Amino acid sequence: MAMRPKLLAFLCGLFCVNVFLPWGALSQEKGERATAPASQQLSLAQAVMCEEIKDHAPHNQAIVFSVTNGSTSCFTSFDPVPEKTYIYHDWFYRDKLTTRIKLFLRPPRWSTFSRIQLREADKGPWRVEITDRKGALLCIVRFSITD
Amino acid sequence: MNNFLALFLTLQWQDIVDILLVSYIVFRLYILLRGTNVFRVLIGIAFLWVFHRIAVSLGLIVTSWAIQGIMAVAALIIIVVFRNEIRSVLQAKNVKALLWGYPRKTAETPVDIIVESAYELAQSRSGALIVLPGKEDLQEVLHSGIPWGGSVSKEMILSIFWHDNPVHDGAAVIKGDQVEEVGAVLPLSHRKDLPSYYGTRHRAAAGLAEASDALVIVVSEERGDVTVALGSRMKVIKRKEDLARMLRKHAGVSSKQGGYLSRQRLELGIAALASVVFITGVWFIFARGLDTLITFETPVEYMNRDPAIEISDTSVNAVRLHLSGSDALIKSIRPEQVKVRLDLSRSVVGPNTFSIAQKNISLPPGVFLKKVEPSSVTVILDHVKRKEVPVQIDWAGKLPEGLILSEARLDPEKIELIGGQKMLENISTVYTEQVSLSTIQKSGTMTVKLVLDPASLKISPSSRDKVTIEYMVTRRAR
Repeated sequence: MAMRPKLLAFLCGLFCVNVFLPWGALSQEKGERATAPASQQLSLAQAVMCEEIKDHAPHNQAIVFSVTNGSTSCFTSFDPVPEKTYIYHDWFYRDKLTTRIKLFLRPPRWSTFSRIQLREADKGPWRVEITDRKGALLCIVRFSITD
Repeated sequence: MNNFLALFLTLQWQDIVDILLVSYIVFRLYILLRGTNVFRVLIGIAFLWVFHRIAVSLGLIVTSWAIQGIMAVAALIIIVVFRNEIRSVLQAKNVKALLWGYPRKTAETPVDIIVESAYELAQSRSGALIVLPGKEDLQEVLHSGIPWGGSVSKEMILSIFWHDNPVHDGAAVIKGDQVEEVGAVLPLSHRKDLPSYYGTRHRAAAGLAEASDALVIVVSEERGDVTVALGSRMKVIKRKEDLARMLRKHAGVSSKQGGYLSRQRLELGIAALASVVFITGVWFIFARGLDTLITFETPVEYMNRDPAIEISDTSVNAVRLHLSGSDALIKSIRPEQVKVRLDLSRSVVGPNTFSIAQKNISLPPGVFLKKVEPSSVTVILDHVKRKEVPVQIDWAGKLPEGLILSEARLDPEKIELIGGQKMLENISTVYTEQVSLSTIQKSGTMTVKLVLDPASLKISPSSRDKVTIEYMVTRRAR
């Protein structure tokens, strides 16, 4: 039974393949398998930009990323997750939507992330809008890609 | 003849004002400078200009270049060589005299008193040197004169040249009815043909007469005769009447006062008429010369817009005007003289199409509109609205190695924009100007401006046009 969370995380990771550049991944905190009560609402606990995901956690959180890093990630953590659902990470370059990534969540708590590969033409201000399955805006994370 | 009349019939009121104004300026220049060397040189330059135009029209390239060069140098020469005369014209007169006043008849030279005095001095064998200036300024040639400023009288002149008077050896300068200077030193003549019995006094008289247009009376101490030096001539005058006639002629004083005044009026009238004819001719050469066509790109100006409505877009920002007119006028057009204005008072929200007609275009006089491209302009108008939008920092450059910009707070986080409704619908963020990372070493604050795109957007008066950034820098984790 102790192996099941890791197995679940692996399976969720398989969902996070993106057609373009980014790909999503999901992880779940160890030992959390209980289903949250259905009366509770989906709640975003953390949304940050980071250089990479290490050990299921954001590594080098920042608001400015050098294009030489090669990629950048948007990490989101939800607590509680009342039921199986999905969210979107909408990546905007200035005010133009460039990528929409669908990420699945599972009760009772869930962390997930999306990532984009960086190119020279991506330099400038960006934002990631995190919305639920109904399109309700949960959070906006702003950052910049620079030299 | 019909063509000539047709030309005059096309004159606008601006053309007439133009001609009259410049004619008056030319006339005033004549009034102020007549009789001076500057005026003579100006006439010379005017002739050079005419020759230059003729040379250009005949295709005499080198001649036209040479004349052009001479004209350029002549302008400099006038200022340098005739600076005293120009200064005396401009300084001696007030603004009214410069713009309006006519030269009053100068105080009449008391010829009879001078003649009587000269012959009385000759009779008493007292040497004398009397200078009667012409139109030229003598400041450069006269030296060491002592200002006198007394009215001319026989007693005055006799006392100036009295043996024991310290200034009796110098010259007395008489201008009008005033003795201006006494004891003046005149330049000596170096002529070889002067009689050997002429002393320094006669050589001085000859020297000044050669160097200027002044008339100099010399009374000989030894021989008791009266000599007049004028130009290169020296002449002994035996009779008082002859001397009086010479002095009157030199001073421009007629024996009949009325005759002088009427001649003066006639001269001014002819000068005024000549100015008008000359400038009218020049004007017609410039304004009604060969037709030239040019294309002029002019921005469209919009007037009488309802303050609650804003221009969100236009089909064109500028229109091309095909203009015709004389070569000189076309070349002298300045952008601010050409305007295309559209009246938005009757326009509505949404697209409005305006035809650009003659009434929408203002042109300088003498320039005519041939064609407008495009002939119509579409203006899209929108309601003016307000919208609050978040501010985002536009970071640029590169952070020093090993540092991470982990967080930044903005004050204010949002600002209110004013602009067209449709324009605002597409705007969800306002960005700052580019903020350089290269100088950041540690956490701190800075104030930056906002960039509005499109530029027609405005920041609400209730919002600030700058934001303060408080940023946190951390070390990069391995």
